Amino acid sequence: MMTLLGISPQLLFGQLLIGLINGVFYAMMSLGVAIIFGMLRIGNFVHGAQYMLGAFGAWYLLNLPDLFPSLGLPSLNYWWALVLVPFGVALIGALMERLFIRKVYELEHAYGLLLTVGLAMLIEGLFNVRYGAAGQQYNIPEALKGGVNLGFMFMPYYRLWVIVAGILVCVATWYAIERTRLGAYLRAATENPDLVRAFGINVPRMLMLTYAFGVGLAGLAGVMAAPIYQVSPQMGHSIIITIFAVVVIGGMGSISGAIYTGLMLGVIEGLTKVFWPQASTTVIFVIMVLVLIFRPAGLFGRETVAAHAADMSTARPDSILENGRLWMAILAIGGTIVPFFIYPVFGMKILCLALFACAYNLIFGYVGLLAFGHAAFYGSSAYVAAFTAASWGFPTELAILSGVAMATLLGAIFGWLAIRRQGLYFAMITLALAQLVYFYAIQASWTHGEDGIQSVPRGYVFGVINLNDPMAMYFFVLAVFLIGFGVIYRIVHSPFGQVLKSIRENEPRAISLGYSTDRFKLIAFTLSAMLAGLAGGTKAIVFQIASLADLYFQTSADALLMTLIGGVGTLLGPIVGAIIVVTIQTELATLGSWVIVVQGAAFVVCVLFLRKGVVGTLEDWLSARVERKRIAAGGGAPVVERSSH
Amino acid sequence: MTTHVSDNIIEARGLTKRFYGFTAVDGVDLDVKRHSIHALIGPNGAGKTTCFNLITKVLQPSDGAIRFNGVDITAESPARVARRGIVRSFQISAIFPRMTVAENVRIALQRPVGTSFHFWRPERSLKVLDERVDELLETVGLLSLRDRSAADLPYGRKRVLEFATTLALEPELLLLDEPTSGLGSEDVERIADLIRSVSKGRTILMVEHNLSVVSRLADRITVLARGKILAEGPYSEVSTDSRVVEAYIGGEE
Amino acid sequence: MSAGTLLKVRDLRGWYGESQALHDMAFEVGKGEVVTLLGRNGAGKTTTLRAIMGLLRKRSGEISFAGENLIDRMPEHIARRGIAYCPEERGIFASLTVEENLMLPPVVAEGGMALDDIYELFPNIAERRRSPGTKLSGGEQQMLAIGRILRTGATLLLLDEPTEGLAPVIVQQIGVVIRKLKERGFTVLLVEQNVRFAARLANRHYVVEHGQVIDRLEAADVAGSLDRIQNYLKV
Repeated sequence: MMTLLGISPQLLFGQLLIGLINGVFYAMMSLGVAIIFGMLRIGNFVHGAQYMLGAFGAWYLLNLPDLFPSLGLPSLNYWWALVLVPFGVALIGALMERLFIRKVYELEHAYGLLLTVGLAMLIEGLFNVRYGAAGQQYNIPEALKGGVNLGFMFMPYYRLWVIVAGILVCVATWYAIERTRLGAYLRAATENPDLVRAFGINVPRMLMLTYAFGVGLAGLAGVMAAPIYQVSPQMGHSIIITIFAVVVIGGMGSISGAIYTGLMLGVIEGLTKVFWPQASTTVIFVIMVLVLIFRPAGLFGRETVAAHAADMSTARPDSILENGRLWMAILAIGGTIVPFFIYPVFGMKILCLALFACAYNLIFGYVGLLAFGHAAFYGSSAYVAAFTAASWGFPTELAILSGVAMATLLGAIFGWLAIRRQGLYFAMITLALAQLVYFYAIQASWTHGEDGIQSVPRGYVFGVINLNDPMAMYFFVLAVFLIGFGVIYRIVHSPFGQVLKSIRENEPRAISLGYSTDRFKLIAFTLSAMLAGLAGGTKAIVFQIASLADLYFQTSADALLMTLIGGVGTLLGPIVGAIIVVTIQTELATLGSWVIVVQGAAFVVCVLFLRKGVVGTLEDWLSARVERKRIAAGGGAPVVERSSH
Repeated sequence: MTTHVSDNIIEARGLTKRFYGFTAVDGVDLDVKRHSIHALIGPNGAGKTTCFNLITKVLQPSDGAIRFNGVDITAESPARVARRGIVRSFQISAIFPRMTVAENVRIALQRPVGTSFHFWRPERSLKVLDERVDELLETVGLLSLRDRSAADLPYGRKRVLEFATTLALEPELLLLDEPTSGLGSEDVERIADLIRSVSKGRTILMVEHNLSVVSRLADRITVLARGKILAEGPYSEVSTDSRVVEAYIGGEE
Repeated sequence: MSAGTLLKVRDLRGWYGESQALHDMAFEVGKGEVVTLLGRNGAGKTTTLRAIMGLLRKRSGEISFAGENLIDRMPEHIARRGIAYCPEERGIFASLTVEENLMLPPVVAEGGMALDDIYELFPNIAERRRSPGTKLSGGEQQMLAIGRILRTGATLLLLDEPTEGLAPVIVQQIGVVIRKLKERGFTVLLVEQNVRFAARLANRHYVVEHGQVIDRLEAADVAGSLDRIQNYLKV
C-alpha cells in the first residue's frame, strides 16, 4: 500500500483505532461527569477511581476462586462482569452520595470538589497499598480473541467490540436522557429542581440515582478497559484530569456534545501520535487553552452566567491569631530556636511547604478562588532554579529569582486563561493547565524526564555565605520564609487587600462600586503564583533536586490540604497545616502508600467535620471565650438594637 | 422641584432586551432629568429591574442605545459605568458582611484615591479617609456602630449601611432598586427621609412598590407594563390615567 | 372552620433570609371554591403560595390541608397530598418538548384529567406538542403551565398571576378555563392583580398588604365594593 506523507497506513490506521478507543472511554467518562455536574453541581473528581473500581471489579470476579479459595466460588468471566460490575460500582456510588456527597450540596461548590478529591485519594491509595504500582493482567474474553484483516490494517475483534459497544452505550444514555420520561425528570430537575419537587418528585432521591448512574457508567468503562489497559490502581488517576479538560472543551448542557467531544479528542490524540508523537500527551490540554481563548463557553456549551468568588475564609479579623506583627516576631524567634531541637532539614521542609501553602492561601482563602494547579508554579520555579544553578552556574539568589520569574510568568498566563471561567471551571482549568506543564517536563530534554535535575549546588548567597553549612542553609530558608510571610501579610492588609476582601465577600457589589474585579483577581493570582515560585525555587536549592513530583497533581493537592487543615483564609492556618502534613508525611514515610490514604481521609474529615480548620476553630473558641467573659462582667448583650431605641 | 432644568442625565432610545423567546424590555425611550427623583413603577414582570440592569450594564441591551451626560455608554462594562458615576443599590442588602461598618463605607471611598492596586502599601495609608467615613456614617445615623461587623446589624440597618456606601461614591446618578422592600414601617420612614435628604444636587432613579413612598418622593413617574412605557408624568397625572389603572387593576371585558 | 374547608392558613410567617415577607397571614379556602389573594407587587402573595407549597424554607405557623398540618413538610410530600402549583414565571422547561412538559408532573391521586381532555381544553397546545416548551407564545406557555397540573389528580390548584403580561383575548380564555375547572370540582387559590378578572371568578377575595391579609370580601359584596378594592390596589 502507498504511504501517506511518509507515514505507513498501518501506523496511521493503528493509531486512529487506538485514538477512537480512547475517545470511546473519554466519551463514556465525560458523559458521566457532565451528567453529575449538571444535576448535582459536583465536580466528581473521584470518577477516575470509580473507573478503576470497575476494572478491578472485573478482575476480582475472574479471580474469585483464587481470592477466596475456601468458598469454592466459580470464576465469573468478562460477560458476567459486564453485567454485574456496573451495578456494583453504581451501588458504591449511591452509598458515597448518601454518606458523603449529600452533606456538601448546601455548601460552596469548592467543598464538593475537595471532598471527591479526598475520596479519590482514599480509594486509589488503598488499592495502591494492596496492589502497588504493578498492573494486573486481564485477558481478552475467548469469544473476542483474534481479529480480522481489513487489508490496510489488522482489526482485533475486542477493539471493534469496545468501539461498537461503547458508542451504543453512549447513544443509549443519550436516548434515555433526551427521549424518555425518566430523562425528562432529569432534564427538568437540572433546570429548576424546586419546581420539580413541587410536582411531587423526590429530587433528593433522584440526585442519588443520577450520581449512581454516572458512576455506573464509569464502572462499565472500567470493565471494558480491563482487557486493553493494565488493571492498576493508577489507571483512573491520569484519565480524570483529561476528562475534566474534555468537559471544559465540550462545555456544559449538551449530552450529545459530551459524546462528540470525547470521541473527537480521542481521535485527535491518536492522529497527533502519528504526526507529532511528542505532543500527543498534551494536545488535549492545548486544545482546551484554544477553546478557552476563542470560545469560553465550550464547543457545545451554552454561555453560562459566571458564578462569583466564594467566601470560604474562616478567620476572625480581630482575633489575636490574626495579628501579623506579633506573629511575625514570634515566628522569627521560634524559627531561630527550632533548629537546635529538630533536624534543620525537617525544619526547612516545613518552611518551604508553609510558604507554599501561605501563597496558595492568598488566592484560595483571601480571594475565594479554588485554584488547583499551584504545583505548576512551585515545580516550574524549582526546575528553573535548579537548572540555572546547576547548568548555568547562577549564584543561588539569582537562580531562585529566575525560578520566581518563571512562576510569575506562568501565573499571569494561567490566571488570564482561567479567570474567564469561575467556580468549578476555574479549578478544572487550573488543574488541566498544570497537567500540561507536567507533561511538558516529562518530555523536555533539559528537565531530564523521570530523573529530574539532581545534584543542584547550594552555592553561596551574595557570594559569601556558604549554604553547604546546614545551619546557614536553614537560616537562609527562614529568612526567605519570613520575607514571603511578611509580603503576604502586607498584600492582605493593603488598600489592594481591602478590595480583594470586598470581592470575596460580595463580588457583584464590588463591581457596582466601580472595581474591575477580574483585574484584581488576576493580580492576586499572579502574586500567589510568584510566592509559590519562591517556595519552589528555595526548595530546589535546599534539597538539591527538582523532580516531576514537584509538578505533579499531588503537590497541588498538598497545598490545598495544608490550607484546609490549618484554616482557610487565616494568617497562621497554612503554617499549622504545613507542620501537620509534613509531620504525617515524615512519620508515615516508611508505610509508603498509606500516606496518600491518610491524606485522602484528612480531606474527607476536614470537609465534613472541620471546615474551619485548626486555626479557624481556635479563633472561634477564643472569641467565644472573650464574649462569655464580657457578658459575665456585665457587658450586656452585644445586640445593636439598644442604640436604635 | 427642578423641572426647569432642560438637560437629561440619562437618555435611553429604543432600549430593548430579549431573552430566550420573550422580550422583557421593548423599545423603551427613557429620559431622566438631572437633579430629579424619577420613579419606575409597574406590575410584576413589567421590565423595571431589567431596565435597571440595562442602565448599569449588568445586562447588554439587544437593541437601542443609552447615553449618560451625552456620552454613549451602551457598550461599556458595569465597573466602567460605575466609575462614570452611575451607582446602583440592590434589592437585597448588598454589604460586605465580614467587614466593619466603617470598612464597608471606606471601600467605596477608597477607589478615587487611586491606590487600590497598591498591594505594597499598608492599610494605614487609608486613614486619611476616616474623617469622610465618619461624616457619612453620621448622616445615616450609624456612627455609633462604626466598628461593628456589618453582619451583626439588623436588616434595616444593613440597608442603611448599603445606602451610605453608595453615597460614598458621590454618584451623579443613584439607582435605587426597591429601597424599602422587606422593611418595617419605621425603617421605611427612615429610608424615605434619607432619600429625600441626599437628593439635593443628585439625580435618583428608583424602582419602588411602596406607592406612598413614590408619591411623596418622585418628581416624575414612568409606568411600565409588558416591557413598554404606558404613561409618564407627575404622580397626580399618572395615578388617574385610565391605562395605568387598567394595567394595575385589570381591564374591562 | 366549616366542614367544607380544604385549606386553612393561620399565623403564617415567612422569611427570605433575614427579610420577613409574611406576617401572620390567615385565610381559608373551602372545597370547590375559587379564592383570590389580591394585592400590589411585593405584598407577599407569591410568597404565600411558595410557603404553602413548601418552597419557602423559612416559615412557621399553620398550613392545614384536608386536616393535616403541612408546615414542616417537604415540597414533594406536599405535592403528593394533592396540591399543585403553577408558578408566576410559568416554569416551562426549555429542554423539554410541550408534551414532555405536560406529562412531567407525576399522578398523585385518581381523578385527574385525561390527556385528551386537556388537549381539548387547550387546542393550541395540542398542535404544538412536539415543539420545545419555550418556543410557545406567552399565552400558550400559560395554558401549558395550567394544563400540566390538571393531569395529576391534585384537588387544590395554586395559580400565581395566570393573566400577567397577557393580551385581553387570552385573559378571557384563561377565565373560561378557570370557570370550567371550578365546574369540574377543582379548588383554586388564585393570586391576582387584575381585580376585574378575579371578581368574575372568585367566591371570596383576600386583600394582602405587607405580608398580611388586611381585608376580606365575599363575592356578593364585590360589586358594591369595587371602589374599595381599587383603592387598595391603585397607583
